[in-house]
Amino acid sequence: MIIASQLAVLPVITPLVLAPITLLLPKGRASWAWATLVSWLTFAACIFVLKTVAETGLISYYLGDWAPPLGIEYRIDLANALVLFLVSGIAAVVFPFAYRSVELEVDERQTPYFYGALLICLTGLLGVTITGDAFNVFVFLEISSLSTYALIAMGARRDRRALTAAFNYLVMGTIGATFYVIGIGLLYQATGTLNMADLHDRLVGQDNRMVQAGFAFILVGVGLKLAMFPLHLWLPNAYAYAPSAVTAFLAATATKVAVYVLIRFFYSIFGFDFAFMGAAFTYVLLPLGLAGMFVASLVAVFQEDVKRMLAYSSVAQIGYMLLGLSFASAAGLTATLIHIFNHALMKGALFMAVACVVFRCGSHSIHAFAGLSKRMPYTTWAFILSGLSLIGVPLTVGFISKWYLLEAAFGAGHWYAGFLIVASSLIALVYIGRIAEVMLLREPASDGKYVIAAKDAPLSMLIPMWALVAANIYFGVRTELTAGLAERAAAALMTFAGGGS
Amino acid sequence: MSASSLLSVFLDNPAVILTVGALMCVATPRHLAGVIMLVVTAISAAKLYSLGLGNYGVFELFGEEITTIRIDPLSRVFAVVFHIAIALNVIYAWGQKDRAQNFATLAYPAAALGGVLAGDFITLFIWWEMAAITSVFLVWAPGTRATYVSGMRYLAIQVLSGVLLLAGVVLFYRETGSFAFDAIGLRDGDGAIKLAALVIFLAFGIKSAFPLLHNWVQDAYPKSTISGTIILSVFTTKLAVYALARGFAGTPELIYIGAVMTIFPIFFALIENDLRKVLTYSINNQVGFMIVGIGIGTAASLNGAVGYAFSNIIFESLLFMAVGAAMFRTGTSKATELGGLYRTMPLTLTFCIIGALSISAFPGFAGFVTKGLIVDGAAGFNIWIWLTLLFASAGVLEHAGIKIPYFTFFAHDSGKRPKEAPVPMLIAMGVAAILSIGIGVHPEPLYALLPDQEQIAGYHPYSAYHIIEQLQLLLWAILAFAVLILIKWYPAEVPSTNLDTDWFYRVPGRAFVTWAVGAARVIWVALWGIFSGRLHALMTRIYTMHGPEGQLARNWPIGFMALWTAVLLGFVLVLSFLA
Repeated sequence: MIIASQLAVLPVITPLVLAPITLLLPKGRASWAWATLVSWLTFAACIFVLKTVAETGLISYYLGDWAPPLGIEYRIDLANALVLFLVSGIAAVVFPFAYRSVELEVDERQTPYFYGALLICLTGLLGVTITGDAFNVFVFLEISSLSTYALIAMGARRDRRALTAAFNYLVMGTIGATFYVIGIGLLYQATGTLNMADLHDRLVGQDNRMVQAGFAFILVGVGLKLAMFPLHLWLPNAYAYAPSAVTAFLAATATKVAVYVLIRFFYSIFGFDFAFMGAAFTYVLLPLGLAGMFVASLVAVFQEDVKRMLAYSSVAQIGYMLLGLSFASAAGLTATLIHIFNHALMKGALFMAVACVVFRCGSHSIHAFAGLSKRMPYTTWAFILSGLSLIGVPLTVGFISKWYLLEAAFGAGHWYAGFLIVASSLIALVYIGRIAEVMLLREPASDGKYVIAAKDAPLSMLIPMWALVAANIYFGVRTELTAGLAERAAAALMTFAGGGS
Repeated sequence: MSASSLLSVFLDNPAVILTVGALMCVATPRHLAGVIMLVVTAISAAKLYSLGLGNYGVFELFGEEITTIRIDPLSRVFAVVFHIAIALNVIYAWGQKDRAQNFATLAYPAAALGGVLAGDFITLFIWWEMAAITSVFLVWAPGTRATYVSGMRYLAIQVLSGVLLLAGVVLFYRETGSFAFDAIGLRDGDGAIKLAALVIFLAFGIKSAFPLLHNWVQDAYPKSTISGTIILSVFTTKLAVYALARGFAGTPELIYIGAVMTIFPIFFALIENDLRKVLTYSINNQVGFMIVGIGIGTAASLNGAVGYAFSNIIFESLLFMAVGAAMFRTGTSKATELGGLYRTMPLTLTFCIIGALSISAFPGFAGFVTKGLIVDGAAGFNIWIWLTLLFASAGVLEHAGIKIPYFTFFAHDSGKRPKEAPVPMLIAMGVAAILSIGIGVHPEPLYALLPDQEQIAGYHPYSAYHIIEQLQLLLWAILAFAVLILIKWYPAEVPSTNLDTDWFYRVPGRAFVTWAVGAARVIWVALWGIFSGRLHALMTRIYTMHGPEGQLARNWPIGFMALWTAVLLGFVLVLSFLA
């Protein structure tokens, strides 16, 4: 069948082609419904891709039938099929959720642009993930970034600080992208190719200054995109002042895709033959990952703004992913892939809960959460359950992540890292516990600007949010999909990169 | 590992069963608590029995084998006597309405039991800390400011022990690559002290109240409620004794530590006015005997130490219960305010005397049939240690065997005419008394539980030598007491520990003892100050760094962000070039 043979391109082409139509539709409900439909179609395409890859293995698709290395190749193995599934899945949940939230937070006249931009952002993220061409990564990275800047700036209707946050992110994101493209340029100079598989072949034995500098630029450029500590400074404000739905979407997808790009470069392009890989693991990823885990977590403890708190928590969680990578083992890579997936589930649900509070109370300050269990019980419990997942309580996905991470830490002989992982989870317990205490034990505000009517968020928000909470539990008990696929993906990447198992 | 097999690992564990029961006590109506606690204890005991010897609940954690339940002859003795002690305590405190205390009455022994059954250090550490956390509820139970502060000090030192244990375990894992909790030994083949072992040794030492690490016992235990003190007296120190027996049997240092432990509390106990505090000193002294036995480390003395722990738990509880019953009726446990209660509390008196005879190791009572094993071992090791133990045995008779019943029920008539103790208390004391006599007369069931069956088979407690040795000791000690009372040299019961009876100053060593206790107190207060002060300073520091206005959380200008990027790029470039 013709569609089936073109399967690999569908996840990108669907939102890319259908997004502009949003702009032609009437504002409000129609453009939202269209965008939601597109996100679901995309999700369906990604499910098929994941299913196909899991059953038959690697898909290689030549765009316009131009053979690589000249043409662009889409190359899907288990690792990126999993990330595609994740990103489109989050989108399929966030789009229906967004309607009421956007209605409140974004100017109605802008809604077609908003949904269009969100679809374009989704396209960019999926494109970055799916492509097998290093320069194509840059193009899609810019597509997603540009739309993200616009989306963050749309938060200015509620809080003007969104404009500075968006501007800062624009500058930093551009620096990151520039570094990345400089790195690609250097690699192109050294090899004369941009196709990833081809790059890998031609880089063999080329341990020269050009390649080393290219590696450094790519690591720092992507590091900026994924908010590696201390390059995370753009992230807290961007997440805090963006419209709530955008935050939920970005927190669950954007940094994860950047981590994926890092993995792809480390394992599918450079490989373990380069001496600087080991140095980067030991002297960059390991210390910065650990520092992020602790510094960002401690900052989160003292935040008065729950959205900012969760944003700092994200920086800390990225620390876990980098830590897993830094072990340079299949177990560590598995842990990172699992945490990419699981962290998206928990942070998505947490930011959605905050969006629900913003919807009813108009604020994401901690004061708005006082006595929330008496006013919005469903939202409260969604927050608490996903918070427990963030801490790593058994029967949630957080536990699975921590478990694999600990296993990797001990397996790699970094026993101290194992204890630090537990210690930083305890800090997560503090900042989540602080909010839980406020929600469960404080009395709701009786006057002032934090008064909330005893009415939970609308169903259109509760259902998607609880779907993610349910996913937190489901994938915490049934780990075949996440852990099983991640293990296979990690083993394949590891073998390709020439590392031990 | 699947979730269901993980669940079965947990539910097979008697300690988990007890913990679940403790949680049920919190959630169910208060008047059902006693029944629930007894039923849960019975279920847990049945589980222990049905499991039998062996390792259970074994699973892989990060490539290391975790053994959550190890029932071997050594752990079985403690597990059995812990169940007896729980049941006695539950009966004694029948009708107790305080939910926090009811919770701790099961959860804290559960943690101690879990520690005893732990086959690896990870499991041990978890239960070790659980025991610290659950027991503090008992210290806090009276709910006064003094008990709160005392409870915090208690918690701090217990958690310190746990942290030391964790540090030791980490070091141990680094040295050996294993978490298995077996004999460690303080020294390696060349006689040098192993760091990991030393840290673990200290952690055990705090919990078993080594001299100068012992203050928390007298600080916290007597401040609890009547039943709370009894429960506390049983578990923490005995868990530590078990841990020492498992990890450090045959460590000569323990002999000297234990010998000092048997001696020094006697003096404090003699001049102490609060009879519950006298008994807490007696805990130190009794644990000292066990530690000497562990230090000697022969099959006989280990049997003795373990068997003595078994019988000690029963008769020490009995004494605490008797004093507790007097306190329950009169509202005080001070020697100066008690006395003459024999008229109206004859049953309690009887039980108390049985406890006193047992702790003094009179032939025919529980103490006698196991203590001989330790004392014999000491005789084989060193004559001075042997003499120390004999002297300490005489001291036990003075402060626990005679002082407790004498000042509670006889001495001067306080004029108080309280009713006999309530029926649940009488039942609990009665059962403990029957057990004390039963073990004394028929030690065979206890002997059957001891770790080394071969050794114990050839041991006869009621040999002429043992009986004569013990009776000589006891009779001379009684004579000494009688003479001291007659010529009014025995430290009279006075309302404060600050005695002005001048005779005591003449006793050599008093100055040293005063100095030692003063030093220990000063160190204790100083450590507490440093700990709380440091904690405060640390929190302030973290806040200034990470708080909303702190350097790490501030909104930095964009140029600064770019600068960071450049710095990191420079670093990575240099790194890649050099690598």
